[in-house]
Amino acid sequence: MTLLVGVTHDERCAAVVHLAAQLARSAGEDLLLVAVVPTSWPPGPGRVDAEFRRHLAASADAALGRARTLLPDDVPARLVVHHARSAAAGLLEVAEGESTALVVLGSSAAGPLGRVALGSVADRLLHSSPVPVALATRGYRGEERVRRVTAAYGATAGGDDLVVAAAGVAARVGAPLRVASFAVHGPTIVTAGAGFRAEDDVVGTWVGEVRRAQQDVLARVAGLPVVPPSVDTVVGQGADWGAALGDVPWDGGDVLVVGSSAVGPVARVFLGSRASKVVRHSPVPVVVVPRRSAVSLAERAGHPAGAS
Amino acid sequence: MAPLLQQVLRRKPVEAYAAEGEAGGLRRTIGLAQLSMFGIGATVGTGIFFVLSEAVPVAGPAVIVSFVIAGVVAGLTAICYAELASAVPVSGSSYSYAYATLGELVAMGVAACLLLEYGVSAAAVAVGWSQYLNELLDNVVGVAIPEALSASPEAGGVVNLPAVVLVALCSLLLVRGTSESARANAAMVVVKVAVLLLFVVVALAGWESDNLSDFAPFGLDGVTTAAGIIFFSYIGLDAVSTAGEEVEDPRRTMPLAILIALVTVTSLYVAVSVVAVAAQPQERFDGQEAGLAAILEDVTGSTWPGTVLAAGAVVSIFSITLVVLYGQTRILFAMGRDGMVPPLFARVDRRTQTPVAGTVVVGVAVGLLAGLLPIDFLAEMTSVGTLVAFLVVSVGVMVLRRTAPDLERGFRVPLYPVLPLASVAGCLWIISSLRGITLVVFAVWVAAVLAFYFAYGIRHSRLAGTEVGR
Repeated sequence: MTLLVGVTHDERCAAVVHLAAQLARSAGEDLLLVAVVPTSWPPGPGRVDAEFRRHLAASADAALGRARTLLPDDVPARLVVHHARSAAAGLLEVAEGESTALVVLGSSAAGPLGRVALGSVADRLLHSSPVPVALATRGYRGEERVRRVTAAYGATAGGDDLVVAAAGVAARVGAPLRVASFAVHGPTIVTAGAGFRAEDDVVGTWVGEVRRAQQDVLARVAGLPVVPPSVDTVVGQGADWGAALGDVPWDGGDVLVVGSSAVGPVARVFLGSRASKVVRHSPVPVVVVPRRSAVSLAERAGHPAGAS
Repeated sequence: MAPLLQQVLRRKPVEAYAAEGEAGGLRRTIGLAQLSMFGIGATVGTGIFFVLSEAVPVAGPAVIVSFVIAGVVAGLTAICYAELASAVPVSGSSYSYAYATLGELVAMGVAACLLLEYGVSAAAVAVGWSQYLNELLDNVVGVAIPEALSASPEAGGVVNLPAVVLVALCSLLLVRGTSESARANAAMVVVKVAVLLLFVVVALAGWESDNLSDFAPFGLDGVTTAAGIIFFSYIGLDAVSTAGEEVEDPRRTMPLAILIALVTVTSLYVAVSVVAVAAQPQERFDGQEAGLAAILEDVTGSTWPGTVLAAGAVVSIFSITLVVLYGQTRILFAMGRDGMVPPLFARVDRRTQTPVAGTVVVGVAVGLLAGLLPIDFLAEMTSVGTLVAFLVVSVGVMVLRRTAPDLERGFRVPLYPVLPLASVAGCLWIISSLRGITLVVFAVWVAAVLAFYFAYGIRHSRLAGTEVGR
């Protein structure tokens, strides 16, 4: 299997290459660095924009060259320039051709440093990729290996499969697994007369339920043939999503795994409103897993012999 | 007999509430200005948009005095609420205060009042909404919803469809999530204050002193009866007191905020009612739908101010229904967790973090009320529920001073025991002026809830287990 890396000729390049190297080293996969160049339109011997196309090709080569220099020597990588209608379409075409395990992308330069921000390409891929998509935070500098896998849990249906899938991956890369849920204390509708703490009680009950559910899913993880070196649960609470995610301790080497929504095409990544809030507020790189992919990864975790 | 007595008098320890909160210590973050705004936002608009047509025929122009009386009584109780809220920092409103101070049976009685207060006022407000919606549709597109679908059976229709739709929309929003609902509400609060100010300014042009000449045609009786009808326009004032443990410097902030909110809201109400009764002969109020909008149309001779007002009312009444339904579901949530009602109400949806099942049940029940009952009856039922709940809280303050004199209180009622006693007297005075049928229906309702308690709550109460264990 291969990790496919979308390379661009800008500041995103370093972050995405660092994340790709970290993931590849941890999982023992190789990398495929892809720079997508727009095809001319209409296709054919059009020469009007030849100069522009030469410029694009040169800039794609430069981007790949820079990516290669940023990449540590111990990570095997191939470089590909691919022609396609759009960057997103090109990445998907390459992903279908190769046996791709994961697409790695950077954050938009418009987002805040240290956060995941979806650019147009990432946004498109999150709606149409059949394989998981890893997103680097803006300015991510990477770590040696993945030191902990955190599965965001409780927001969507199929959450159990996602945790089992994350457990399988964590076991494979030898990292601890953490199941994290996030409770946002919405502002109480202050004029209701039911008390300013009415919402705390509702959230408190929710937290109690989700803690029980976390234990249930960990019991399922414990029954797997290969288990992560250690497991842990955590519930982050806060007045908004940023605070709830900030309520949970994060370290270098953490990767957050988020599942796609129950609605939308089953085969593809499609972020629900809550999952997309988790992604946007994550201080660590995020891997977004499509539902069907989570199911098959969970099955693989249950039969590791077939996977290896 | 003794064990039964013990059962109905068992109290929920304050520590148990603290343990349930789980979120840890409360931060004192709410300041005076913010708290006053809460109170004003909570109170304004509930009744003023449509209660005049109920109250003026009873009191005449003296309805102005009725507004002041209702406001003063509501203010007195709000101060009593403030002490309880600061001593028993729990959610669930007076139900929880009563459970912690006066015991299970009283708590259940208070719950009956609260269910009436919240459930019925949501329905009453939704019915008022439908009148303004009809006015708006008539002005803007020239089409009114047919009588059969916009009036209750008693008023000659089949079902009040807009009211039912409103309740359904609000329930949907609440199911979607609390923060969505809170944001929608904040925007609507701004709209309603602006719209009432617009009314005062425009309707002033139609001032006719003759309209005020026969000031109190039905004497003091009429004035107090009207105060009873109006009373539920002020139920939002207790919102201030529920901040108990979360305001900065509660001793100063709580009473000040209650006073500021009370004075502001009462002034706004009085201003609206003064210009309204001065602009239109009192006979015309009787049965007038969307009264404020109609007054503006008469005064200006054109439809646009009425349209603006009706639009504002449609928006702001939406927010009231939303908020009251919210309060209802959260009180049932607290009761469900105590085992007083089936646990269905305390079940929180994994995905939306809201009590979905409870919200749906409340929505259906309130929708039925709103669709089938006339508004004046609903308004009076709300008032009696609120008044009895307030009464219990005022008594609760005095009981708690006796039973737990050393309990830490963030705020103490000034002039004790004069104010709580005045509050009790005020509540009793207004209750005594309500129509007989209202009191009978109320008594039947409370009896039904208590019967439910003896059939269900007494055995399912969370405290029942601890009692057996002892």
